Amino acid sequence: MAAPATPASQYDTPRAVANKRDKRTLVRAIRMALGIESAAVRRNTQNFNSNRYREAAALVDYDALKDEARSIKERAIANLPDLLLTLEGAVRARGGQFYLAATAADACRYILGVCQAHGAKLVVKGKSITSEEIRLNHTLQAAGIEVAESDLAEFILQVADEQPSHNVAPAMHYSTERISALFKRKFETDEPLETGEELTKFARQRLRQKFLNADVGFTGANLIAADTGTVMLVESEGNIRMSSFLPPVHIALAGIEKVIPDRREMGVFLELLALSFNGKLTSYTSFISPPLDDPPFALSGRPRKKREFHLVLIDNGRRKMRQDPVLQEALYCIRCSACMNSCANFQAVGGHAFGGETYCGGIGGAWEAGTGALENARFSDLCTGCSRCVNNCPVRIDVPWLNEALRDRLNQKSAGSPTATLLGLASGAAGRDRRASAEKIFFGNYHWFASAGRRARGLTNSLLKNAAARNMLQALVGLDARRQMPALPARTLVEVARELPGARPVPARAKLALFADVYTNYGLPERGLAALKVFQALGADVVVSATVPEGRAALSQGMLATAKKHARRAAALLGPYLDEGRDIIVVEPSALAMFRRDFRHLLLDAPFVERLRTRSFEVVEYVARLVEESGRAPQEVFDVARSPVGPRLFYHAHCQQRTLGCAAPTEKLLREIGFDVATSSAECCGMAGSFGYKKEYYELSMAVADDLFGQVQAAEGESAGGARALVASGTSCTEQIHTGLGRPVLHPIELLAAILKT
Amino acid sequence: MAAPAQTSLLDLFVTRATEAAAKVERVRRSGVEVRNAVARATEGARSLVIADGEFLPAEFFSTLRMLPGVVSKPSDDQLATSDAGVTEAFAGVARTGSICIAIGPPLRATASLLMPLHVALLPAERIVLRPRELFEPKGLGAEALGRNLIFVTGPSATADMGPLVRGVHGPHRLHILVLE
Repeated sequence: MAAPATPASQYDTPRAVANKRDKRTLVRAIRMALGIESAAVRRNTQNFNSNRYREAAALVDYDALKDEARSIKERAIANLPDLLLTLEGAVRARGGQFYLAATAADACRYILGVCQAHGAKLVVKGKSITSEEIRLNHTLQAAGIEVAESDLAEFILQVADEQPSHNVAPAMHYSTERISALFKRKFETDEPLETGEELTKFARQRLRQKFLNADVGFTGANLIAADTGTVMLVESEGNIRMSSFLPPVHIALAGIEKVIPDRREMGVFLELLALSFNGKLTSYTSFISPPLDDPPFALSGRPRKKREFHLVLIDNGRRKMRQDPVLQEALYCIRCSACMNSCANFQAVGGHAFGGETYCGGIGGAWEAGTGALENARFSDLCTGCSRCVNNCPVRIDVPWLNEALRDRLNQKSAGSPTATLLGLASGAAGRDRRASAEKIFFGNYHWFASAGRRARGLTNSLLKNAAARNMLQALVGLDARRQMPALPARTLVEVARELPGARPVPARAKLALFADVYTNYGLPERGLAALKVFQALGADVVVSATVPEGRAALSQGMLATAKKHARRAAALLGPYLDEGRDIIVVEPSALAMFRRDFRHLLLDAPFVERLRTRSFEVVEYVARLVEESGRAPQEVFDVARSPVGPRLFYHAHCQQRTLGCAAPTEKLLREIGFDVATSSAECCGMAGSFGYKKEYYELSMAVADDLFGQVQAAEGESAGGARALVASGTSCTEQIHTGLGRPVLHPIELLAAILKT
Repeated sequence: MAAPAQTSLLDLFVTRATEAAAKVERVRRSGVEVRNAVARATEGARSLVIADGEFLPAEFFSTLRMLPGVVSKPSDDQLATSDAGVTEAFAGVARTGSICIAIGPPLRATASLLMPLHVALLPAERIVLRPRELFEPKGLGAEALGRNLIFVTGPSATADMGPLVRGVHGPHRLHILVLE
């Protein structure tokens, strides 16, 4: 898709929507990004992502490396004050200068002072997001010093006057066509500026002169070793090698969190950092302990000066982050960008929408809050908590949890409203959460609204179909009128199960409790009933639990107190089943993820959390296990010929289910039974629980779904053998695919129940 | 004494460095062979800068300095405009196809950075399996920990202008001669 030659005037510029303190700006930024930047962002992030998946799969000790990196960073942050002293000593012993800046202004003042002391007219810069944080270019230029950004991406941004849209590839929102148009507009030249080669050559020639004539070279630092003062610099273009080597003065700027104890540990990060970006080492990684011994470089006619090195470390909020139980995690970040590349929303809009003035992506909210203000993290509302980033983080940061905790803090800053208070009271939201917006209270307490709606089901269902009523819901609680909420069923899972003849085989092949999650109970009870049928056929003793919210809905709205309350209710319900020796079976993957991943943040009883984590299972995962334990081949239990939808399937696993490693068992079982299964590689369907239902995010949600729909289309192409039945494991994925493609969607367990051999 | 493990390390290095868009050649370790290989690799280069080594025999480098086009004692102006640089590599990394340049000795940094072509001479016995071995105080790590090292994986490259373009600020071509 060719991008427009100039940004169409109906869109904001990225700078105009950089700070998203208020939600309206966030919505404008999403619109701008979807209109102008989406195609390039999608292509680039998905490319980084698939390269990383391929290389990571081939690295046998990937998990061990992550553990090592995590433990180095934990130790480093814990011992930071000592490390800074050691580092200062190491840098000074080598003849370098060391400056610890408390604020962005201090850092700018110091760097400007160094430049002025050398009478610098030209500073050549390697890429440094931290220099964006302190607005260094602005300070230097205001003092009449020319700043030449030498990383080609930063060069583009400097020409365009835009903030970075990505940690590692800051101009990845630009297509070749747009760069070409930009350069033609800004530079008067006869040189051809059409292809990537031509544009690169043009920038290279201009910048070569800057490197050779610069008075000061400026770089960031990916890591710094305290024992030797070694600076690690990762790049692919050679501009950082030039900036740190050619000019007589080298200034390196980094946050204090970049310091690790010793140089020996840098090898772990050399192996992990680039892998976590694009799967491979970039062209150059420098490990230098400046000032370098090499004689300084000087073209004839330029003074040959003595080499000088200044290491500038900044606090700018980081020491406070270190004391903060939540934000502390962000200090472990090595800025590899894996979290943003693996994020479906980020893939659709990039960091100009999913980001603030400096930092972006899932991890960006914590950084904007830590180095700026909490309100600057408003954009982290785009984190749906889908958890696809979690296994991709090389230092095991729980990014969704950071964003949920930030959302909780932002809720506390919200003005509240009478509607919100009323809804909060009615739905039993915890007192402190009633300050959240009406939208958050509605989505965070969906169980209450579903249960209340059930009491007048006929009325509720006809209202949900009524345009005027839907418009009112949109105005009141932000439920997009274009979305059709699933109709409430005549009878819930719990009600039907209560009347079924109990199946208590003795001896039982397994003792199970099927958790009647809110979505299955009030939304799609047939899935729970299918599970009962299959487990009974497999000889299991299975009971259906009562229905209680497990806290997912509240957690995703940042209503932590309510989420804790819900988690305690679920724990009280499930504890006795565990005591009876029953394993917990869950149909809705986002509820399972609460039991396996999130309860550790919400419940104090660590032994219980561990017991539930290891004894709760995704429904088909457990079916596969029982079949395997029975010693029978899957085809002996299930008969693909009975499939009401034929043998060809397209299966979309739920995002949380994939993170938990529960997608593979379903795919494997379906294939062993004899189905022809095509799968989606889309990180998420775009609905992500309540996200796609919200009026501000409807367009983004549909844009994300385009990838999934495109994959369905490709898998159903003539060369691929034609139509396939649609299968999905999540409630909201089902809704997204059903409405998007206008076709029925089955849960794998429904399919299995239909093809049981009797 | 090419133990089987050593051989497969070398094979892996050649495969990976080639994947990383370096040109890799295996060369017998003799002054004549090395000179001929460098002459072929730098064909077309009008000016050539040679940086001395540490691990290979000194006469290899004195032989190389007799090649046509070699700028002896280059000024910085000449460094900025030369066509090719030849350096020794401190180590090779098989798994990533990288070479490691230890900068510090004269011309090592410039000859591996400023010219469009970089030719690196890598002693085969200095190939390790993975990057982190250059950071662990056994094997090469002991020598490496005190040095200023640049890990080089293929020629300089960018995707910032859209497609992948090789040859940005650093060398456009990387030619590795592995000396067996």
